[in-house]
Amino acid sequence: MATALDHLDYDAIERRERRRVRGGWGAVTLAALVSLIWLAPFYYLLVSVFKSSAEYGSGNPLALPHGFAPILDNAARVWVDAQLGVALFNSATYGLIGASVAVLVAAMAAFGLTRIDFPRRTGWFMLIFAGTVFPFQMYLIPLFFTYQQIGILNTRFGMILFYCAICVPFPVLVLRNFMGQLNREMDEAARMDGASDWRVFVSIVLPNCKSPMLALFLLQFTWIWNDLLFSTVLGNSPQIRSVMNALQVFQGAYASVGPNISLTGALIASLPTVALFLLLRRHFMAGLGVSA
Amino acid sequence: MSMNQTSIEADRTLLARIGVDQVAARERRGRRRNFWTAFAFMAPALALVGGLLLYPVAFNIYLSFTDWRKFSGLDTFAGFKNYERLFGQVYFMDAAVNTLIWVVASLIFPVGLGLAMAILLRGIRFEGVFKNLIFLPRVLAPTAVGVIWYYVYAPGGLINHLLSVVSGHPVTIGWLYQSDTVTPAIIATHVWQTVGIVMVLLLLGLSAIPKDPVEAAQMDGAKPWQTYRHVILPMLTPTLVVVSIISVLAGFTAFDLLWVMGAGYSGQRTLSLVVYMYFEAFQKGGWAFGGAIAVVIGALVLLVTWIQAALQAKAERMVR
Repeated sequence: MATALDHLDYDAIERRERRRVRGGWGAVTLAALVSLIWLAPFYYLLVSVFKSSAEYGSGNPLALPHGFAPILDNAARVWVDAQLGVALFNSATYGLIGASVAVLVAAMAAFGLTRIDFPRRTGWFMLIFAGTVFPFQMYLIPLFFTYQQIGILNTRFGMILFYCAICVPFPVLVLRNFMGQLNREMDEAARMDGASDWRVFVSIVLPNCKSPMLALFLLQFTWIWNDLLFSTVLGNSPQIRSVMNALQVFQGAYASVGPNISLTGALIASLPTVALFLLLRRHFMAGLGVSA
Repeated sequence: MSMNQTSIEADRTLLARIGVDQVAARERRGRRRNFWTAFAFMAPALALVGGLLLYPVAFNIYLSFTDWRKFSGLDTFAGFKNYERLFGQVYFMDAAVNTLIWVVASLIFPVGLGLAMAILLRGIRFEGVFKNLIFLPRVLAPTAVGVIWYYVYAPGGLINHLLSVVSGHPVTIGWLYQSDTVTPAIIATHVWQTVGIVMVLLLLGLSAIPKDPVEAAQMDGAKPWQTYRHVILPMLTPTLVVVSIISVLAGFTAFDLLWVMGAGYSGQRTLSLVVYMYFEAFQKGGWAFGGAIAVVIGALVLLVTWIQAALQAKAERMVR
């Protein structure tokens, strides 16, 4: 773009730049204050998990702990009493299998919806997407009853089956948009060479969808890991419980044993997804971008 | 829209030779064959969604019109009896009022605060650091957040401690045990957790706004506040509508926080319709009655979604 340099008001530009910087420091101070308030509960969590029950009970909840050792006792206590070991295993199983099956199934559906011509495609998409329209409360009673009837209530299979289903519609929406924008020339070329639709899906379309599929996997894994409601209704026995369910049950039954122990449980239950988020933040944000 | 394995050239030759109708018929046959291929690809998704999401919704609507309690009555038609019963229940009315408070609060606070924070953080030093810090609570599960804040609000917890320090004498308010403080307290926690995502989405929306009109306004001597009010906010309206609806639905259907933080409150079932439904169905065994509450929640969600669609269409017309 051509600009007549001698017509620019350099003083005005400089004034504006200066104002932005000066106003900037005031805004930075305010932002730092807000961030401090937002971080206070994390600070409280971190100092509490290093306190013994006696130390926690004796005073100031904001005081720094005397040492680091008590966290081991706290962790051992919540690990045994809340049966965290089996709960962590359950949640990892539900999250890994549920999210990967759901994203794959969604990718297949999105392929059918975008790469093959057939009548009333939008209608079929709406049918799948209808799975996101209703609130969870409308699933609870029928699922509980049906699960009980066919004998999969309180089983790992039943939990995984439900998580696979609930995690399908949203990835279908995202992958349908994504695949719709992929170039179709490669499909056509492969079909000319005699490739089947399945071959086109596996060898051409899937490799091009890696990055949105990873973002979707992370989002759905986190959703399953964080779920409390369905684990409470469909899998509420000690051997089948998800980690959030175990944490909630422990909190309810052992509220008197000491906040330091419940808080250690909350920290352990959160660590895996927090670590995933920090490691793969860019992919999460990409996922948020597509979900927005 | 060309058929597979048939080039446009071949189509033209065919057209000349056998006429348009026959080509159209062939294309229909091709598309019908295509349908079964596509259906095979969609089948697993359709089976999962149909069997575990859509069928339960239909079943739930049906059972809400029966007399189903604990062990019998699923085959007895009860008409609107369950729905009529709802409005005579004190608990239902309390839960409905609290749900309404949640709807209004989760529209005002996350969106208002999120917008203020987005405007504050945009373009300042360390924007990325502040953004990540305020987003951080969102990474935690609501259950874990509930456990943490349960103790933040405890009689000997963080909030009361700070109030004691400020006021100079011991404060031991049972924030989560009193009917007038429990809902605002849990809403505050919800806002703490959700404002980050609202802010991030609004920052995305702000960065998509074209620079020219903004710079033109600044050139004309508009103050920053005027620029926001008259230039930026109107262009941000579509994002604001989307974010508001996400926010309202999230607040409206919040369960985990209420379940964990409300555990010590004697009126826990009245905290929201969502909790009330769980109590009636799974603790009292009133399946049909619980199902009716679920249908009411579903109707309200559909209403909100419908309002969203209308507002969004309107906002997009405004921008264009």
